[in-house]
Amino acid sequence: MTAARTGWALWGDRLLLAITIIVAALWLLPVIWVVTMSLKPNAELMRSTWGFIPYPFTIENYTNLIQLATVPRWLVNSLIVAIGMTLLVLTVSSLAGYAFARLQFPFKRTIFALMIAGLMIPEQAVFLPLHQMFADWGIHNTHAALVMPRVAVPIGVFLMMQFFRAVPRELEEAAELDHASRFTIFFRIMLPLSVPALTTLGLFTFIHAWNDFLWPLVSATDADMYTVTVGLASIQGNFAMSEGLGSVMASAVFASLPIVLLFLIFQRFIVAGVAMSAGK
Amino acid sequence: MHHQKALAGLALTTALTAGGAQAADIQLMRFFGDCQNEYGSVNDASQANGECGIITALVNEFNATNEGGHTVTVQTADWGAYYDLLTATYQTGNIPDVAVMHSSVMPDFVSRNLLTPLGPLFEQAGIDTADFVPAALQNASANDEVYALPFDLHALLFHINMDLMSQAGFVNEDGTPRLPTSAEEFITMGKQFEEATGQNFIATESQSAEGMMVRFFQSLVWQQGATTLSDDGTSANLTGPEALAAATFVKQIYDEGLADTGLDYAGAEQAFLNGQAGIIINGTWVVDAYNAQAESGSVPLKSYVATNVPALMGEDAVWADSHMWVIPADESRPQEELDAAVAFLTFLNDNNFEWSRTGHLSVRQSVLDSPEFAALPHRTAIANTSQIAHAVPTTQNQRAIYNAIMSEFNSMWLAGAEPQAALDGAQSQVERILRRANRGG
Amino acid sequence: MTAATQTRVLPVAEPRTKVPQSPAKRRDWLTALLFLAPFLVVYLVLLVYPLFLGIWISFRDWDLMGGDYGWIGTLNYQDLWSDPVFWRAAGNTLKFAAMTVPSMTLVALLLALAVQGPGRIRAVCRSIFFLSSVFSVTVVTLVWAMVLSPDRGLIAPVVQFFGGTPFNFLGSPTWAMPAIVVTTLWWGVGLPMALFLASLGSIPKELYEAAELDHASRWSVFWRITLPSIRHTVVLVVVLQIVAQLQIFGQPFLMTQGGPANSTRTLVQYIYETSFRDWLVGYGAAMAMVLFVLMMIFSMLQLWLGRQGDDQ
Repeated sequence: MTAARTGWALWGDRLLLAITIIVAALWLLPVIWVVTMSLKPNAELMRSTWGFIPYPFTIENYTNLIQLATVPRWLVNSLIVAIGMTLLVLTVSSLAGYAFARLQFPFKRTIFALMIAGLMIPEQAVFLPLHQMFADWGIHNTHAALVMPRVAVPIGVFLMMQFFRAVPRELEEAAELDHASRFTIFFRIMLPLSVPALTTLGLFTFIHAWNDFLWPLVSATDADMYTVTVGLASIQGNFAMSEGLGSVMASAVFASLPIVLLFLIFQRFIVAGVAMSAGK
Repeated sequence: MHHQKALAGLALTTALTAGGAQAADIQLMRFFGDCQNEYGSVNDASQANGECGIITALVNEFNATNEGGHTVTVQTADWGAYYDLLTATYQTGNIPDVAVMHSSVMPDFVSRNLLTPLGPLFEQAGIDTADFVPAALQNASANDEVYALPFDLHALLFHINMDLMSQAGFVNEDGTPRLPTSAEEFITMGKQFEEATGQNFIATESQSAEGMMVRFFQSLVWQQGATTLSDDGTSANLTGPEALAAATFVKQIYDEGLADTGLDYAGAEQAFLNGQAGIIINGTWVVDAYNAQAESGSVPLKSYVATNVPALMGEDAVWADSHMWVIPADESRPQEELDAAVAFLTFLNDNNFEWSRTGHLSVRQSVLDSPEFAALPHRTAIANTSQIAHAVPTTQNQRAIYNAIMSEFNSMWLAGAEPQAALDGAQSQVERILRRANRGG
Repeated sequence: MTAATQTRVLPVAEPRTKVPQSPAKRRDWLTALLFLAPFLVVYLVLLVYPLFLGIWISFRDWDLMGGDYGWIGTLNYQDLWSDPVFWRAAGNTLKFAAMTVPSMTLVALLLALAVQGPGRIRAVCRSIFFLSSVFSVTVVTLVWAMVLSPDRGLIAPVVQFFGGTPFNFLGSPTWAMPAIVVTTLWWGVGLPMALFLASLGSIPKELYEAAELDHASRWSVFWRITLPSIRHTVVLVVVLQIVAQLQIFGQPFLMTQGGPANSTRTLVQYIYETSFRDWLVGYGAAMAMVLFVLMMIFSMLQLWLGRQGDDQ
């Protein structure tokens, strides 16, 4: 659509763009509003919540939440869980993905089919038994318990396999001639090549881990172990909403900062990742 | 935070040098909201207001002053999620040392041996169970054993904006609000009120979170001398004429436009504080908060009065429940933590008066008889609430039952369901829940 | 509704096993085992075993707090059959998916068409539309519960300004579900939009140039070139959305608690409540199996469509 347009078509383009800008502004409006509220005193918000200019202005909501250290604590938990899960998923998926892509072993088709079947098991089908298992093992309320159920993701294996299969064999064959072991080839040649794929998978895992709700809700019951998602849910009750709206909003904004920053930095990879996962 | 820790440390040193019991850190789990921002550093409970403020300050005060050097760490949960969370702790291993519990929920826990029997511990600690009013002690007991420290009785009240009431002419000669004495009069007065003031007669939580109108409905059924569950708690009784009359009246309140169906808990409170409703139907727990708001002059509500729910369908009767403190059973809990938990319960019991400042009814006869209690605002108007209070029959899965009735009821005013249909739906669901509850799992 | 469920996207193709001729065949097997072991262990222990454990539990009277009360055959499933709330929840879940999936697909496509192309403004708009999908469900529901609030919201003052009466969307059995759909759209449209963008970007330029020479209208270009070129992506987005939306939990759980009058209680919420509020884990597990079968049907559809795509 880059070709030069004239007359009505040009105006049409401009009109479309204008509409898009308006829609985008409206899209962003709730976010701006929430940020505004987070910068207003709670008492003022009891009176009125309207407006997009934080006046009267206060940063007390933020200083309070940093002093109380609850929200920062949730943030740290979320970071530990999200980073831990990301690293484990990347490790497990790239190793297995490589095996499916390049190695020969017995029952390969069966194992592969088994893995693909796993794509169909939704979280909800296993979260009750997992909850009972983890209770028996006594590992609820640990970071490990929050991470483990999400490590075995067939989709990650599949993505990495697809990627490795697209790598030209010649790159490995040279190394094979040098009698390099499979592990050497994997770590020295394949992994460096797969940085884009790993970044994509890593980003999606990270976002997924960050936003996970149902599992942390039932597994992390100790306020010290809450992730931001569960923690924010825990302060959304009616009472907190009416009395400390500004504080609640500040918590929400504060807790979203890391993921928004991550998004702004890595946008390009995310879009590329979607394209890749679409099989293009 | 640091200040508290320093104080706790000081107390600890004192305790050690005094050769007292070993200090322990214990976990407290509760609802009532989180107000660390406002009360995090208040160490004197008498300086706090409202449920959240007072309990927060009580804990701070205990941490700062207790002789054992114990520290109570608090975990709060939203009212709606609280019991799910407490339940989950038995699975996830972070069982709190002290937890708040409604008496209506206690049977679930007692029947599975999930609570620590407290009778002997109370005796050792010198907590006098004879001082508890009989209803409260009964709430806290099962199978001849005490499982909880009763903290209050709480009931439904009518909270009234007197300015609007006088605008509508609903004031008695002695200055008290004139309230309806029957369902019909309620509706008539409501219409007059709305004509005179242009505001809603009633504000109440009408969404799915609290079920305020289920409590009102239950009160109305009791007023007719009937019950919603059979007294032994094994079957539902929602299809009788009394239930139908009560449900029809509740629906009528909305149908006649006397209450806004769209209000949630916060919305109803805001409407009342903003002078947009004559009466808010809410619990005892907000008396102190509304009183403080009205006195502060920062809200349009200026003249606030609390009264009992009037007898609209016969005898005086009102829904009530009880907040209690329990020590969840935990085999791995060390003795010093149990001691600390009992010390904390003793402290709470000693400060029962502070809690009753919220508007809740004290469960201690000695507090009820005290001049300080009588001097609290609005207490004369609700002095006899505990005599007309009714608790739901003791049965398991009370929350599921409550939620089932609540959903069906909401469909009356939100989706236009007929009272009979709503009651039939509730009846069948409650029967199913009770069947499950009664087969032991 | 999360990123990873939405990335279950792929056209599936089995790896072609070449007959191994390498002398190091046996050593290769061992190596393969080492490469596979971490995945297989977590996969079997944390996904396959729990699945079968869940099936087993669904035939037992399993109490969350009281423990296992023993085998009760199909009683849990029989109770399900006669539980009106279960049917209501299943109906709500399907209704939610039926409302969300078409609107999500359409909005994503419209936005993708609007923001594709060069220029800083479009790039910023792309980011804005995508940005909302990185927020967690708690933040999203917090924001929208406030936006929709009749007394403190964003919409109410606008309505009042034009002389209307603010409407309580989340308090109405009719409008609560659509309100949650809108919330879900705002939250989730980023990924399908990005999928469409990727797909639109890979349409050969020559096709458009040819159309331009024919002086084809914008409308006919869309129907004759754009839509046929991205039809696989459309199918992909639809299937993905079905699978994702059937699992809806957080939005109604946090915004309406399933109300008003049960109108937004979904299957996952009912499973959660049955298991963790009412402690009936066996009963909850039976419901989870029903959901599993429902989702398996759609996942099969996804796999089947994936294969279709791969064959071409």
